[in-house]
Amino acid sequence: MTTAILIIAPLLFALAALIAPVMIRNILTILFVIALSALSLGNVFSFNTSFAFPLPNSFHELFILLDTLLLLYFLWRGIVAKNALVMLFALVQIVLYAVVVYLSPAVVSSDIFADHISSVMYLVINIVGGMIIVYALKYIESEELSRFKKNGFIAILFFFLSVMNFIVSTNNIEIFFLLFELTTLCSYLLIGYRGDELSVKNALQALWMNQIGGVAILLALVFSILEYNTLYFDVLLANIDEIYLLPVVFLAIAAFVKGASIPFDKWLIGAMVAPTPVSAILHSATMVKIAPYLMLKIFPAMSGFLSLGVTLFGTFVFFTATLLALGKDYFKEILGYSTIALLGLMMSLAAIGTPEAVTACLILIMFHAVSKALLFLQAGVLEKSFGLKYVDDIDGLVERSPLTVLFIIVGFASLTLPPFGVFIGKFMAIESISKEIINNPFYTFALIFLALGSTLLTLLYFKVVAKLFAKDVDVKPLHVKISKFYTVPSFLLLALLFVGIYMIFLSHFLSSLEFVVPLVLIVFVPILFATLLFKNAHRVKEYNCGEKDESKLGMYYFYLSDALKKGINTAAALSLLVLIAGVLL
Amino acid sequence: MFDLKKYRKKSPWILHYNAGSCNGCDIEILAALSPKYDLERFGVINTGNPKQSDIFLVTGPVTYRTRERLVELYTQMPEPKVVIAVGSCACTGCVFRDMYNVEVGIDRYIPVDVYVPGCASSPELIIDGVVKGLEILEHKSKEMEKPFKLFKAATIDDGIVNRRHSALKVGEDDAKD
Amino acid sequence: MMEAFFIAVAPLLGGLLYGFERVLRARMQNRKGPPLLQPFYDMYKLIGKQAFIVNPYHSILGIVYFITLWIVVAFIILGENLLYIIFLHLLSVVFLILAGFSVRSVYSHIGANRELLATLAYEPVLVMMAVGFFMINGSFEISAIRANASSIIPLFLLFLTFLMIIPVKLKKSPFNATEAHQEIIGGVEVEYSGVFFEFMYMAKWLEYVFIYLLLMLFAGDNIALGTALFIGTFLLVNLVDNATARVKMRDLIKIVLTLGIVLGTVNLIGLSYV
Repeated sequence: MTTAILIIAPLLFALAALIAPVMIRNILTILFVIALSALSLGNVFSFNTSFAFPLPNSFHELFILLDTLLLLYFLWRGIVAKNALVMLFALVQIVLYAVVVYLSPAVVSSDIFADHISSVMYLVINIVGGMIIVYALKYIESEELSRFKKNGFIAILFFFLSVMNFIVSTNNIEIFFLLFELTTLCSYLLIGYRGDELSVKNALQALWMNQIGGVAILLALVFSILEYNTLYFDVLLANIDEIYLLPVVFLAIAAFVKGASIPFDKWLIGAMVAPTPVSAILHSATMVKIAPYLMLKIFPAMSGFLSLGVTLFGTFVFFTATLLALGKDYFKEILGYSTIALLGLMMSLAAIGTPEAVTACLILIMFHAVSKALLFLQAGVLEKSFGLKYVDDIDGLVERSPLTVLFIIVGFASLTLPPFGVFIGKFMAIESISKEIINNPFYTFALIFLALGSTLLTLLYFKVVAKLFAKDVDVKPLHVKISKFYTVPSFLLLALLFVGIYMIFLSHFLSSLEFVVPLVLIVFVPILFATLLFKNAHRVKEYNCGEKDESKLGMYYFYLSDALKKGINTAAALSLLVLIAGVLL
Repeated sequence: MFDLKKYRKKSPWILHYNAGSCNGCDIEILAALSPKYDLERFGVINTGNPKQSDIFLVTGPVTYRTRERLVELYTQMPEPKVVIAVGSCACTGCVFRDMYNVEVGIDRYIPVDVYVPGCASSPELIIDGVVKGLEILEHKSKEMEKPFKLFKAATIDDGIVNRRHSALKVGEDDAKD
Repeated sequence: MMEAFFIAVAPLLGGLLYGFERVLRARMQNRKGPPLLQPFYDMYKLIGKQAFIVNPYHSILGIVYFITLWIVVAFIILGENLLYIIFLHLLSVVFLILAGFSVRSVYSHIGANRELLATLAYEPVLVMMAVGFFMINGSFEISAIRANASSIIPLFLLFLTFLMIIPVKLKKSPFNATEAHQEIIGGVEVEYSGVFFEFMYMAKWLEYVFIYLLLMLFAGDNIALGTALFIGTFLLVNLVDNATARVKMRDLIKIVLTLGIVLGTVNLIGLSYV
């Protein structure tokens, strides 16, 4: 029931948002987001979260019609833009889809299937996504677009939420494919929303890259029908034979495409040209979160070689994406690469598939979404209120807007340090990989990638934070006023991070001694000292060899040579081929 | 009760500044700080950081280029502190006295506690000077001098204190006051 | 009760160790050196000094660094989760780095930058060490590691890499580029003075306690072996400190990281085969 509301209500509301005047639209949106969040929260606490039922046959025909139209639309876009790749993949998909529809078996299982993983995903999608939409209300007003396009932007975002709610509650791979393509459509429309040359180019890039994922799903479907005669996840997983894992490996590749793992990373980075709420929603609540979700869906079918292969590949992406991010100076791009990295980690955890690793994966999905949303909102604020895009320019922001700096620091800290959620996820990741090493020495490499990657991630984040933080001796600060539409969602996300800390505390993952004592001491003792000591302290300028003139230290970057970048891409692409080949053998 | 005051002098940390010296005295200072003379047995560390130093070792006559930095470094040292002028140049200006680009010794700008003569002063003399400085350090407390006193008592127009305005300069008459 | 006592006196023990080390280093250079209690004289002097602050964040973060490090040491003494302790230690280093960046001082920035790069060198090695202990004892809990027999033989290569990161953490030659006295004037600690510098100074002592307590884990329940390891390593580290010159930051990372990763990997793979 909840699932149906969560799918249909945003769809209807999208229509309403399209026509309503600004004032009414804003109020309605805020109320609606609150209702959605409450609903998804209620779903977690209700007794019977898991349910399944089939859809009537007429729905299936409607979906087939929709799918055909969608693929034809992609083909048309390719022809209009004269983009060979878009055309090629659209044609391949049309052919494969025809094969699937022709072959499709009559065996029916439940089409809708929601379990506890789905309810966690609802939380992420509706609460985090909702806050980003509230933020977008103000953001889109400052863009130079027509009234209709501004309303349309909000409408597409709601449509996106609806699709995402559907995709995490379907059991039919064919419907999954349709929704997968619909998210591709949404991202295509949103990335190209500004309509300038670069946006259109990057939107097309996102389109053809995501279509590779579509092709992979269709191939998985074909092989699944041929061998197991089914279109359904649960039947596939129940009957899976260790010798014939082709459908699973293609689904895994689709996940890697959606998660923008290394050879496919261009589209997510290209998506940065879109308005910031788009990046925020793509990186946190929707789109890329399909990747770990799909992995979580298929992990019971993975065993031995495939599990190891996906884990190694995921951790490899975790390491290399972080390495690539060290050479970037565009704030959103840094965030983008760290998303790719963490998605790689999530997917490898899902592939390990022990209960502990799955829990770690879910924790990562939740808190990564919250932290990334928080950070992207701040990226938008930096752009709109300060006109800043590059980390080299954000020097000394703490004097102009301490609030934004606080959000950014907490956002980054929550991705690396105790006691925040993502840290706990990483902690459990190391623990579950160590357990695997005992049986299989190859997991040692996964551990090394993980250890190196997480240190590099710390390096990356605090390199950026360092830029924000430099403060002069008692300068009168020049605060810049930031709109309530920007700060309130940020505060709520911040609150969610702290709720997360409380939840982890309740879960008894760490003893209260380990958890509470450091928090209390780290917060209160310094305040005590500060009040005692600062009264008598004298202020003094920084030591500068007695010189009067200012000297400044630039930020360092770690550039990879083009050959090395190419090498990484080739290595990643090759390892995916090895994965397929290994399964074939 | 035992006197805690005597422990204050047990850990003198040194800041060494070259106010236009010919490097002769600097080499001797570094020699004195080296393992051979073992100044560390008095707890001496050469910090190179005014904010953590107690003893200010200055060499060289103060050139125009260095005088602002000299005062800046002096004010960045927390009280209590001791200033030691090492070498004849730092004490009086030595052979550079009354040259067009040189001041006459560092005590035109900052109060000096110990004068160590010599061109260049020998490590033994420097060690003696530092040990003498320690005695002075023992008696000083942080309330004794505040950095702004230096400027409050300014008597001449350019805002720089001349603590030696009553002292004799070479080649001038006695009847200055 | 015993633990509480040790936690309370941990900084003092570290201070004694530091004082003894200064004497030892002087004797190695054939000179007399400062008295054993020299660090405490320094502390007494610093209380009496005028306190300068550059800005409040900077000073508070310095204190936070010290407190966090003390908690880390306390957790090792109490026998908590090793992996958690390593990350908590990373948190303390991050506080130090933030402190270094919170002032507009070039030296402080360089120091913090190098501190950040040094974490890149030793953090993966520490994590691998924790995993090594996990594979042998089946638990990350330090109390379990202490209860079991010594694991220095199966973890010998990791022990060697750990020896390599001791100079990085304790700012000893040849890996003391993070502090690089006289070159960048102590790096992060450059802007601290008076009472506030005391916290940095005591934090330095706590780093000693932290690193040598981690070293003792290799001895397991064998106290005699632990003592021998401690004394041997202490002498070795100081000998190396006296006998080598500082390497560049880039070389530090290269040496520690490559050797650490290679040796650690070999060790872990070997463990999983046995």
